[in-house]
Amino acid sequence: MESFLETIGNFLNTLGPLIVLPIVITILGLILGQPFGRAFRSGLLTAIAFVGIFLTVGLLGTQVSTIGMAFAERTGTGLDIIDIGWPAASALAYSTPVGNLIIPIGIALNVILLLLGLTRTLDIDIWNFWHMAFVGAIVQFVTGSFGLALIAAAVSLVMALFLADWSAPLIQKHFKMSGISIPHLQSAGYMLLAVPFAMLINRIGFLRNLNLNPDTVRKRLGLLGEPIVLGLIIGVLLAALAGQGLQDILLTGVNIAAVMLLIPRMVAILMEGLTPVADAARDFMTRRAAGREFHIGLDSAVLIGDPAVIASGLLMVPVEILLALALAGLGNRTLPFIDLADGVFVTAMLVPLVAGDVILATLLGAIVMGIGLVFTTLLAPAVTQMVTAAAVSVDIPAGFATYTVMSDAAIPSSYGLYYLFQTPAVIAVIVSLAILVGLFFLKRRPLGGKMMEMAEKSGGSD
Amino acid sequence: MTRPKKIYLVCATGIATSTMLRLRVEAFLQEHSIEATVRQYRVAELNPSLVDADVILATTSIPEDIRAKAPVVDGLPLVTGIGQAEALQKMLDILQSKSD
Repeated sequence: MESFLETIGNFLNTLGPLIVLPIVITILGLILGQPFGRAFRSGLLTAIAFVGIFLTVGLLGTQVSTIGMAFAERTGTGLDIIDIGWPAASALAYSTPVGNLIIPIGIALNVILLLLGLTRTLDIDIWNFWHMAFVGAIVQFVTGSFGLALIAAAVSLVMALFLADWSAPLIQKHFKMSGISIPHLQSAGYMLLAVPFAMLINRIGFLRNLNLNPDTVRKRLGLLGEPIVLGLIIGVLLAALAGQGLQDILLTGVNIAAVMLLIPRMVAILMEGLTPVADAARDFMTRRAAGREFHIGLDSAVLIGDPAVIASGLLMVPVEILLALALAGLGNRTLPFIDLADGVFVTAMLVPLVAGDVILATLLGAIVMGIGLVFTTLLAPAVTQMVTAAAVSVDIPAGFATYTVMSDAAIPSSYGLYYLFQTPAVIAVIVSLAILVGLFFLKRRPLGGKMMEMAEKSGGSD
Repeated sequence: MTRPKKIYLVCATGIATSTMLRLRVEAFLQEHSIEATVRQYRVAELNPSLVDADVILATTSIPEDIRAKAPVVDGLPLVTGIGQAEALQKMLDILQSKSD
């Protein structure tokens, strides 16, 4: 069985995502009942998206590899690991063998769990299955086993669904949205870690009384919320600190700003390719689940418009930079970079835990990201391997820099599973099952009690 | 002679849900032979004084100062599939009431 999977994994690897993904998407579309033309177009669009993504990620790689090492040395901070951001990570995750198969596997697994009554979340957020593929990929790079990678990805999918179920009542109440849940690992992954801390800091009365107005924050720091501006500033700063000449400093600034806009645009093409399949999958799953009550699982992006989320997300920018510097000697070697723009995804699900208080949410964010930064450092070797493995398609000067991803590598479940699957397979599987069973029983008591009361009183914002 | 309508599709990141919105809205517009320009935005980059839309479809909450500039329709139904037809109808009603 093991070598059968290895053969498949190698086969997929050799062909590469540009060939495999279109085929997978097309076949999946056909299975789900789409006419050939539409299915094929989706598949082709997916391949095209990857061409664009690899081009733009290559640009990013070239930029960071020149300034990364120089910055670390000259500033003596020792922060030599560069955060490449979630858009690049998503593309890289999909380009791995696990990533190639995660969509059909994810859909099948979700439907089975729904039918067995083990989850109430129908995850129609197909493109975010890449987070599970990411976990699988880092496991594969550190263990060399495609089989373990698949299992790890499956485990993280089930975790995502269970965490979504667990937090659904609180999310729905706080943000005043009904019928949804958030299996998006990029935000939900922090829940287990954040809840105990939230319970602690909720008792700190005086901080709550500081009552920072979200709109004030938005007006003052709003410019930081614009990724291209943030990119320009960070690019210029880093280049300057890395000792580049004026012309190069300006060029780097523009190039990084470009990357902040271009990579997500390419990812948008990928989503366009996946949307028809996502629709067909959603209809398929809805038919199969008919008669049961379920939450629709969505990307946490739907929560991002909330003022408290925006405000705390903006505050995370300086917070993350300060944390990185403060922890530089204490286990962090990661330089926050591209994902600075995505503090909102960290705080999106933390905000309900503190009933919308901006300061407490930022504090909670600081705690989970502080711990998270250490995780990102630990996962850097695996992420770097993911980058260099894709280097056949991406033009990154290999061996020049170490990479990580601040969004996904900071999530406790990523490192947790990464570490777990390096133990003998039997142990990994047993412990995983134990964790999942534990989560299953935990979610029967949805996040509530005090938090729900507070949510009721302050109840989200509009 | 009616000018093309202007539709803003707004989500948090400008790529995820707003892409889904665009595909659906464009299909709908074609079905009903409506001429319109469709633009995708992140909620954070919307400047109230520059908003020039006949209708805004959003999958995230829109701040008050933006709401004052254009009618907002909840776009989430187009993502979840539940209530999609009604949401599109609402958008259509708003567009048709603004002929000039």
